[in-house]
Amino acid sequence: MTALTSVPKRRRRSIIARVGWPRFLQEIGMLAPAVVLMTAFLITPFLLSFWTAMTNQPLVPRPTPVRFVGLNNFLRILSDDLFWTSLWNVTRFTLWVLPVQCGLAFVTALILNQKIPFRNVFRGMFFLPAITSMVVVCVIWGTLFQYPTGPLNHIVVSLSGGHIQPIDWLGDPNWAMVSIVLLSAWQAYGFQMIIYLAGMQGIPDELYDAARIDGAGAWGRFWHVTMPGLRPTHVFVLVITTIQAFKLYTQVAILTQGGPKSSTETVVHYMVRAGFEEQKLGYASAVSVILFLIVLVIALVQRRLMRRFDV
Amino acid sequence: MGNRLLSTLVATTALMALATAADAKTVVRMMHQGDPGWVALYGKVAERFEAANPDVDIELIYAPHDAYNEKFSSAVMSKQLPDIIELDAPFLANYVWSGYLKPIKSYIDQDLLDDMTASNVAQGTYPIDKDLYAIGLTDSSVVLYGNKKYLEKIGARIPKSVDDAWTRAEFEDYLAKLAKVDGVKWPIDTFRGYGIKTEWVTYAYQPILNSFGCDLIDRTTWTATGTLDSQPCVDALTMMQTWVKNGWVVPMSSGTNQFYADGEPAALAWGGHWFYAEAAAKLKDDVVVMPLPKFGDKSASPDGTWIWAITTQSEHPDIAGKFLSFLLKDKDYRDFAVSQSAYPGLKSFAAQSPLYAEGGPMAVAFEQASKVAVPRPPHPAYPTITSAFMQAVDQIFNGEDAQKALTAAAEKIDEDIADNDGYPPFDGN
Amino acid sequence: MSDLALFSRKPTMSVNGYRVVQSISVFVIALVVISPLFMLFIASLKDDRFQILADMGSFRAFWVDNPTLSNFREVGNFAGELAFGRYLGNSLFILGSTVSLGLVINSMAGFILAWGSLPGRAVILSLIIALYVIPQESIIMPLLIIVSRAGLSDTFTAQILPFVASPLYTFLFYQFFAQLPKELYEAASIDGASIFRTWWSIFMPLSLPALATVSILMGIETWNQYLWPILITQTDYARPISVAIATFFGQDSIYWDRAMAASVLMMIPILVFYLAFQRWFISSFVGSAVKG
Repeated sequence: MTALTSVPKRRRRSIIARVGWPRFLQEIGMLAPAVVLMTAFLITPFLLSFWTAMTNQPLVPRPTPVRFVGLNNFLRILSDDLFWTSLWNVTRFTLWVLPVQCGLAFVTALILNQKIPFRNVFRGMFFLPAITSMVVVCVIWGTLFQYPTGPLNHIVVSLSGGHIQPIDWLGDPNWAMVSIVLLSAWQAYGFQMIIYLAGMQGIPDELYDAARIDGAGAWGRFWHVTMPGLRPTHVFVLVITTIQAFKLYTQVAILTQGGPKSSTETVVHYMVRAGFEEQKLGYASAVSVILFLIVLVIALVQRRLMRRFDV
Repeated sequence: MGNRLLSTLVATTALMALATAADAKTVVRMMHQGDPGWVALYGKVAERFEAANPDVDIELIYAPHDAYNEKFSSAVMSKQLPDIIELDAPFLANYVWSGYLKPIKSYIDQDLLDDMTASNVAQGTYPIDKDLYAIGLTDSSVVLYGNKKYLEKIGARIPKSVDDAWTRAEFEDYLAKLAKVDGVKWPIDTFRGYGIKTEWVTYAYQPILNSFGCDLIDRTTWTATGTLDSQPCVDALTMMQTWVKNGWVVPMSSGTNQFYADGEPAALAWGGHWFYAEAAAKLKDDVVVMPLPKFGDKSASPDGTWIWAITTQSEHPDIAGKFLSFLLKDKDYRDFAVSQSAYPGLKSFAAQSPLYAEGGPMAVAFEQASKVAVPRPPHPAYPTITSAFMQAVDQIFNGEDAQKALTAAAEKIDEDIADNDGYPPFDGN
Repeated sequence: MSDLALFSRKPTMSVNGYRVVQSISVFVIALVVISPLFMLFIASLKDDRFQILADMGSFRAFWVDNPTLSNFREVGNFAGELAFGRYLGNSLFILGSTVSLGLVINSMAGFILAWGSLPGRAVILSLIIALYVIPQESIIMPLLIIVSRAGLSDTFTAQILPFVASPLYTFLFYQFFAQLPKELYEAASIDGASIFRTWWSIFMPLSLPALATVSILMGIETWNQYLWPILITQTDYARPISVAIATFFGQDSIYWDRAMAASVLMMIPILVFYLAFQRWFISSFVGSAVKG
């Protein structure tokens, strides 16, 4: 686990002997608020759900007793085809949305980092989707996706000269996930864009000046200064986007409710259905534990891989 | 600097938290959902009640429709159930069984209780003790709307009452004919546009199962296997699957306005009573209201809507009941309900609603309710029953084998009942 | 977007294919990004909800014949003018508190993780990544029990405190601070500055891009919170605007006209917030500071 992070190794010596009490207390004091709050509002509820996952606890109290059921919930989940479908769906979603969303974010960030005219106007404009709440985004895209006469179908049909028939974007099991990917990338790329922008700002001007003196062109500067300078940002964006993608829920809940034919069922949606609609909190908690473990492993593997390729 | 900023902020938020001042008045809280018009109306009724009862403070808690279940659960869990809640009728059995609701009779004015229609009483009654737990001004139904122009073109017979409803053969014949009529893009809208995870699916399609002679669950043994996966149910859903396959049904992503949108692309609409207002506003006299078709030996129609109940956590059930009685008699409330083409659940309100009166355009809906309404299963497992059925319908409409999908749904329902030890006393003990 | 010409000839820049490609891509991206929102804006100016729905099926969605502000007036007056102001005020207060507390707490933690000397920082860092994996939906019920047992139902605190410390933003700060040159830290140590002072007076002023990023991302997240405020608030006292606006997305039929206006209204404050912070990206503070 320690290989994940880049905290430099130090010789083992009591911290207090090394830095003294005042400094030690200050550090504790600065770290404590975050640690305490996360413990109270993230770790504790999550640990509670580990326990709940091993019971048959309903969402709200019932006359029947709550029982310890061991791993029963987990076994049921793993033998439910719909769970595997939902896992496959979020994997699919992640693989598609990663290049689209991060690519768009990276390109726009690169452009906005140049001295183009009206840069501030574009910065505001490109970020508009990201500040739009998902409910509103779904209202807009729900109408864009209308079948057979929505604006998007108009564009598809007229661009293809009538060769392509209108597509039932959200109603066709083959297209529904594609539509969710399009909408999600559109809404969320601003998030990654802004992280890239911050990353680009973090690259010292001297490096660019030096590269210029060495005779590097725009392409050379991009390849030898910008890209290496953004390495930590790339890792960060990749990991964060993957995690977010696996947690896909809101847009699916509003637009397709997991359908048609379970083609957009996601793990979190599956969990919410079990927990809130069917009132099986124990079962839903078990789903969240499984999701947690899967995504954690993926995130760790990603970081390790990135490290191996670059160091 | 940082410390000062931090401490100021912490102090402000802490003060805000403390600012929940105690009130000397009796506070009665009511949780509800609803469109903006209703929300504004409840506020006004509460003001009028407070004016008449100066020592009472009515506190309204609004929760949006799409998050109402979550809101209700959170209120239960944080032990903050309000005095009065609005609930969807099929969930009543679950709530009463879980111990959230009080029998309501002793708190509501007797004249209102006498005024309730049979189906209103049915939707508020818990089957185990046969006691009344909820009351509403309204009820609901689903009818078959038709576009007169198109129906005349194919020479369809227009049924006038439930007794001469279309048969399955007639209905499917008309669908096939309508599909060929100029201007008709889809013969029928079954409002798939409401989504696949909405109570609409169970509410509006259960009558088809009932009419085929089957049901979501056996209502005496409370097992789904052997009923929901039986041949009549499979036939019913296979029939609907065929309509979808033939392109007869408005697709999910085409909205819910195709019956009256420009060009009137949908000829029939399998729609709720509330749909009448918008349809009639656009199509005027071209709207024909018909009973739901009779697919098998008998007709069936749905019922149940959002109704009011008093919770067991209420400390002032008498005042809560007084307010509910006040609300149900409020003139503005009734007038607004009429303007929304609300379906009457009180006899006196029915008399005020010309729409549903004898000879009124929606009279057939009212007739249906008194003759053939079948409530959704009044069982505590209902949340799972409806969730499983919705999933099956989505699968089947998208090509899955009906037998396979319904078997899976039935198993899921029975598993939930077994997990809860049969929800005693529903298991007969 | 007719300013394509402006991109082409500037005395100091060499005109080349690169510029052209850049201009075209800016134009195309802007078009794709903006048109759905433009449609939303146009719809909010139409007062017939049936017409809005009908127009959606064609390019009339991008055109309005008789623009009217009546939808905005109706939304503003919903539940009385005062109530709407109250919701807006609540949202702004929650936004301001969450973001300012969040900046302080997460950046302190990120700084200690990057430059502190406490043992076990690596473990904490890994743990923080793991925490980000937890979906909010999965802990919302246990969280609700914790918060309501603490007597915080229907308070602002309940909408602020649980979201102040965030694994994502602590990690973002950690990453940003860790990138800064070691000399900065060493110079501060030699001057005898305490670690708190080093963070506050030396690292924070250099972190405007990171601060802006976190402010904006956290601000959006807070502003658009929906399910949690519904669950935790009972009355208008602390209820944010996102919940009030949900009324217009009703059960039987969506009030498209007012929903669109409400959506536009909902976006304006956060847009202003974003514009205020995004200026912090403009020049590279890090570069200029290190030179000295």
